[in-house]
Amino acid sequence: MERFVIIGAGAAGITAAQTLRDFRPEDVITVISTDERVHSRCMLHKYLGHERDIPGINFVAPDFFEKNNIYHIPCQTVTKIDTQAKTVYYGGEGYSVPYDKLLLATGSAYFVPPIPHFREAPNVFGFRDLSDALKIDDAFARGKRVFIVGSGLVGLDAASALCRRGGAVTIAEMAPRVMPLQTDDYAAGVYQRVFEDHGCRFLLGIGASDAAVDGEGNITEVILSDGQRVPCDFIIMAAGVRPRIQLALDSGIKAERAIEVDDHLRTSAPGVYAAGDCTGLSGVWPDAMAQGKAAAENMAGVDTVYEKPYPFKNTSNFFGVTMLSVGRLDLTEGAEVLVHRTAREYKKAVIKDGRLTGYLSLGDISNHGLYLHLIKNGIDISGKKDRIFRLTFGDFYGINEKNGEYVYTV
Amino acid sequence: MKRIFIDPAKCDGCKSCTLACMASHQDMTPRRGTLEELRQVLYTLDLTDPTVQSRNRIVSDGKGGYSPLFCRHCDVPDCAGACMSGALQKNLETGLVEYSADKCAACYMCVMSCRYGVPAVTPDRERMIKCDFCQHLEEGPACVRSCPKKAIEVREV
Repeated sequence: MERFVIIGAGAAGITAAQTLRDFRPEDVITVISTDERVHSRCMLHKYLGHERDIPGINFVAPDFFEKNNIYHIPCQTVTKIDTQAKTVYYGGEGYSVPYDKLLLATGSAYFVPPIPHFREAPNVFGFRDLSDALKIDDAFARGKRVFIVGSGLVGLDAASALCRRGGAVTIAEMAPRVMPLQTDDYAAGVYQRVFEDHGCRFLLGIGASDAAVDGEGNITEVILSDGQRVPCDFIIMAAGVRPRIQLALDSGIKAERAIEVDDHLRTSAPGVYAAGDCTGLSGVWPDAMAQGKAAAENMAGVDTVYEKPYPFKNTSNFFGVTMLSVGRLDLTEGAEVLVHRTAREYKKAVIKDGRLTGYLSLGDISNHGLYLHLIKNGIDISGKKDRIFRLTFGDFYGINEKNGEYVYTV
Repeated sequence: MKRIFIDPAKCDGCKSCTLACMASHQDMTPRRGTLEELRQVLYTLDLTDPTVQSRNRIVSDGKGGYSPLFCRHCDVPDCAGACMSGALQKNLETGLVEYSADKCAACYMCVMSCRYGVPAVTPDRERMIKCDFCQHLEEGPACVRSCPKKAIEVREV
């Protein structure tokens, strides 16, 4: 009988718990999480926008832990890991759980830049966990002027939710356009307009540099780098995240910017693995799930090599405007850039040395999954450039006669 | 578990399977009925309605033949492995990748992740569309029953 402990109940932690149970029906599995309830971070905006309740953003069955016979210790922060004695301490080191194999799935935390007052003010929130969403919900009940720092997917998620509820939302973005990592100027313009139509205001190419506070330290005005003052009731930080590594560092597990892992997702401590955002390998949900699965397989003794993920990929869906963005649209030097634009669609392909290196599609993104595969695997498309926007798997068609699945033929 | 096996050499591109799929899922609700009843539905199928979507596609292979594109209900499904709402799940008993529209948050990670480009989006951008193996039909997938060339058939794997 082996004892498995997982720290974190996000995409990686939960996937690992399920995978371990699938491989080890009898062993003891414990999940310790700061979160009270399992929830999908990618659906927080559905809660904040009051489209769904808390059970509605759970991504597993309500009886997940009971059904799988997994111990869940919620609302607890792990304070220390004794990697010699193989014991995890939580609850102010008052409680402990021994382990044979341990998974760190501690995720990432939002980053607050060193702007005066921002790090101390009680009305500055992240938008990362359900606890953040609950705090924002509470603040929004008292004041509807919202200032959001950052217009990436997290910032826009929060903005879309609060615009829906009639908030007066201002977003400051350092880059000259919205969602700078995923868009080009045209696609960004489309999203900017649709947000503006819903009452959102953008301040582009500018950042916050100071703030005015009231007697309790709450920020009442954000002061921009050009001196402009924007009054607000509260602030949401969406200027990026950092892997949560403090626990690893405190426990002598090797970490610098992120927790270091090898190709089996093993950390520097024997029997300790890491998966998800805390490894710094990727920041998207599918990769966190894949890492949770691979780490759990290795923990269960099934040798699984985890191949480095391709992190440049995302989809977005705001107010019914959908976009798929894969690869690097910004690296155009020595590349050919093809654009296709109609009233309803905008597509862009970046091609270098006969290979697709970036692809963006705004509009109907049905059946677009193959573009990620082509980019990630550097598949030769030089003979297919004339129909680059109409490629289907039919262009690479192959069937595995044995099991009937498809295979790429290139 | 079962899978729809494809013999592209037999496909002559008539797209009966595509129409049968649309008929089987008209009004976004799976339709019950016999093959004969489904044929009747074909006469009233509104092809100008963008919500009448097919879950399969037939594309030309550029050499006079055709490449049928059907969901494989993969052994290791990329779509379910990317789903952040729990809406897409691999049913380990039936082998099917099942979709629960109520759970879906329309993030379209599934669309991005399926390397074969199977998942589609709905016109309202609130759901995704993929093969459900016509679980509402006792006789099995409508596409298979409608294929005059027997280019697709359900087999045990």
